[in-house]
Amino acid sequence: MLAELLNHHLLSSIFAVVATIALFQFVAVFQRKLNAIWLQPMLVSILVIMSFLLWQNISFDHYFASSWFLNALLEPAVVALGFPLYQHLSTITKQWKSILLVLCIGAFIAIVTSFVVTMLLIGDYAIAVALALKSVTTPIAIAIAGQLDGNTAITAFAIILAGFFGALVGPPWLKFINVNSPKAQGLAIGAASHAIGTATVSNISYEHAAYSSLALIVSAVITATFSPFIINFLVTLL
Amino acid sequence: MFAILSCVALGKVCAFYAPLLPGSLYGLMLFTLTLHVRIFDADRIKDSVVWGVKHMGVCFVPAGVGIMNHFDLIRQFGITIVMITFITTFILLTIVGLHYQRYANDQDENDDEGSHVS
Repeated sequence: MLAELLNHHLLSSIFAVVATIALFQFVAVFQRKLNAIWLQPMLVSILVIMSFLLWQNISFDHYFASSWFLNALLEPAVVALGFPLYQHLSTITKQWKSILLVLCIGAFIAIVTSFVVTMLLIGDYAIAVALALKSVTTPIAIAIAGQLDGNTAITAFAIILAGFFGALVGPPWLKFINVNSPKAQGLAIGAASHAIGTATVSNISYEHAAYSSLALIVSAVITATFSPFIINFLVTLL
Repeated sequence: MFAILSCVALGKVCAFYAPLLPGSLYGLMLFTLTLHVRIFDADRIKDSVVWGVKHMGVCFVPAGVGIMNHFDLIRQFGITIVMITFITTFILLTIVGLHYQRYANDQDENDDEGSHVS
């Protein structure tokens, strides 16, 4: 009955969007009531929807086509992050040197550690490239992975993983190692967990949102520019 | 809303002519810039943008469900990829966080010596 209903295109579109938003809001309210960080609405919604699709034997492509509306909002949502960035622009321009330095070091470490560790453990160039790019936002990472003959499917997968891992573990871990400044937390999570991390910390404060969006953009630019050279250099080295 | 959508569109144009970055990141920068030079009035759009940023997480759900298309990859390379991703993300978080925190502490001391209790 349910599967039949979902086969109708318009109905399934409305159903997919409404159900996703309702589920997300439900988990969000629950999370606030229980005060449980691990009950991350994004992650829980994804797990629930995934199990539902598998259980009902609905393909991902079908769900994705039905939820096009949410996906269409993705770009405006990322653009909206320009607002917190604008509000903190004056403090950011004062510190641009140190921010740039930290993010350069971050991007460099992200690429080198992932690439070298993967080469040592798995020994496959295409996978190593894919994992080296996992900390930047999806469209950029996929494009670079394609240029460097990396495995784009693994890139997409690792990006989602890195995003959720940083979004979930990032804030409590950073607090634990005494990184309490919202600026430092925002930068770290934006650099490690791109847009997914940014979306999550944007909930905490506006300062988080501003610095995380900044790290998201700057890391993407740095990685897009330098990763081909770094990876070529590492290949000749290994 | 008009402000955001026009930046999305302009971002796409930029991405078409200079394909270094995706359109949404160009759009983000354009949005910041247009607010800064006051082409758009920040106070007027503030409420809707704040609301949007707070709830933007839901837009990432469909893309995240995409993990289910990669189950065979997970099976093939086992837990290694997951572990590498976790560990390197962890290292990155720690280094960037600690580094900037140290800088922020120095700043605090220089800015308002003694008046700031941390």
